[in-house]
Amino acid sequence: MLIIKGLHASIDGKEILKGIDMSVKAGEVHAIMGPNGSGKSTLSSVLAGRETFEVTAGEVNYKGMNLLEMAPEDRARNGIFLGFQYPVEIPGVSNVNFMKTAINEQRKYKNLPPLTAAEFLKLMREKMAVVEMDNSFSSRGVNVGFSGGEKKRNEIFQMAMLEPSLAILDETDSGLDVDALRIVAAGVNKLKKPDNAFIVITHYQRLLDYIIPDVVHVLYNGKIIKTAGKELALEVENKGYDWLINP
Amino acid sequence: MVKKYTYTPDIPEVFRCRVPLPETHQAFVMNGILREDVENEEGLTIVSNGDSGFVLSVAPGAHIPKNTQIIGVRDASNTEPVSFVNELNFGQNSESSILLCTHTLSMDEFNTESGINIELESNASVNIVVMQNEHNKSSHKVNFNITQKSGSYLRMNIVTLHGGAIENTINAKLTEENARCELNGIYLVDGKQEIRTSINMQHLVPRCHSSQLFKGILDNESKAFFSGKIIVSKDAQKTEAYQANHNLLLSRQAKVYAQPQLEIYADDVKCSHGATSGRLDDNALFYMRSRGIGAKEAKLLQQIAFVYDVLEKINNEQLQKRLQDLVESRLRGEFSHCSNCSLNCC
Repeated sequence: MLIIKGLHASIDGKEILKGIDMSVKAGEVHAIMGPNGSGKSTLSSVLAGRETFEVTAGEVNYKGMNLLEMAPEDRARNGIFLGFQYPVEIPGVSNVNFMKTAINEQRKYKNLPPLTAAEFLKLMREKMAVVEMDNSFSSRGVNVGFSGGEKKRNEIFQMAMLEPSLAILDETDSGLDVDALRIVAAGVNKLKKPDNAFIVITHYQRLLDYIIPDVVHVLYNGKIIKTAGKELALEVENKGYDWLINP
Repeated sequence: MVKKYTYTPDIPEVFRCRVPLPETHQAFVMNGILREDVENEEGLTIVSNGDSGFVLSVAPGAHIPKNTQIIGVRDASNTEPVSFVNELNFGQNSESSILLCTHTLSMDEFNTESGINIELESNASVNIVVMQNEHNKSSHKVNFNITQKSGSYLRMNIVTLHGGAIENTINAKLTEENARCELNGIYLVDGKQEIRTSINMQHLVPRCHSSQLFKGILDNESKAFFSGKIIVSKDAQKTEAYQANHNLLLSRQAKVYAQPQLEIYADDVKCSHGATSGRLDDNALFYMRSRGIGAKEAKLLQQIAFVYDVLEKINNEQLQKRLQDLVESRLRGEFSHCSNCSLNCC
């Protein structure tokens, strides 16, 4: 589904990603771990199409398409979803309106008619239940006045609404208490299907107790320095990153 | 059955204003001249103010929940500069809602200057919405003079959708205690349009409350001027007065000149003022795009969100919805489509 080859990216002339290679198949869950500043969030931003980063070398093939040439909205419409580490507040745009616009823009792209109000509300109720979100959220401004945990739940809710093929969750566990963590993880597990894939970026093993990865990558200084099975996450938890960085 | 227009000769055929709501009292003012007097059993009258302009009176104690809409139209039948004065008098303890619209129906270079004198007797409660929608060659100066007596409440929302050169000057005098005056506005300008807003809020006595919230979106080479002054007299203790002006600039050539001013001669008051100008938030745009919302739509959503809190202050929900739709279609650029048909009605 996703093949990344020799990806280099920089911001303001400073190179952050220094040659990333990885590939993700449908049905897989990949975890990316690594110390602060290793380039984890940059990788997720580049995959989602954030324009502040400049891709200086390498290629990314997604479902046979050249991902790097696509606008962020077209990536989303083709099934890429980024769960933000810091979800953005948009005062004045209600959650309902935001999601309705997003869903219908995506449907328009696929030549499908917009959802009727009734269909949309049904879908919304259904997906809010997935993350145990209160109905009162729907009329509030996007993420406005939400607690850290509520914002992350809202990300998972949006993911549930949009049903992406490839979801990239950027430190979705940061700032979550155990209960919220469990809800978020359960949401992800409910959405897992043979035809979609997840890239879960995290600092800690904790989230991986709930979302079991097939592959774990350790990212350091803009490069993947180790790739292994789920046991790698436990090793990192016990021994830290030092043994990988200075072998 | 409710008649949609109280005055019908030829105007409705050309004038398809989307603003009128069902059960709205309506009056037309053509090139400054009131077409037909209005008198209704609820206590509202509209009559000519001499040769031009009108006098609207709401009787003391009258409660008129329905909107009264006065549609000011300029058309080709008089292309000379026109100037007139309207009087709006609200009696003691009355309650009413007024919608004042201005439109241009032909592409002539109109020059209009209108005075709108608004007087609220004690405990009168009034909601006024002003909707300005004129073409690019139209210039319109409106001078609002507001006087408020004790316990009266005025909320005025000015929605400037379109117009070549629009100038709104508001002089408000709070002359008796416990008067509350709330002025809000939205201006949307593009091309070479210019909008000027000057406000002079005078707190002459203690314990009055005023607030101002004006927001503008500027595109292309448009210009906006905002000059707002709050004057608190020496004896006007316990005054609360607030003012805010925020601008969203969509192009590098658009310019905004903001002059917020406070003149305070009393020492026990709560006052604040502030002005900002900014551009669209890149983070929010990326967030929306990452959900599949196209760049254009994402920008539009952000613009609508920017003025949302001002529109929210329109008390009549139905009217609020209509104006939201109008603002949205204006921001989508749909107004320019029909500038050639000169109706400017969409």
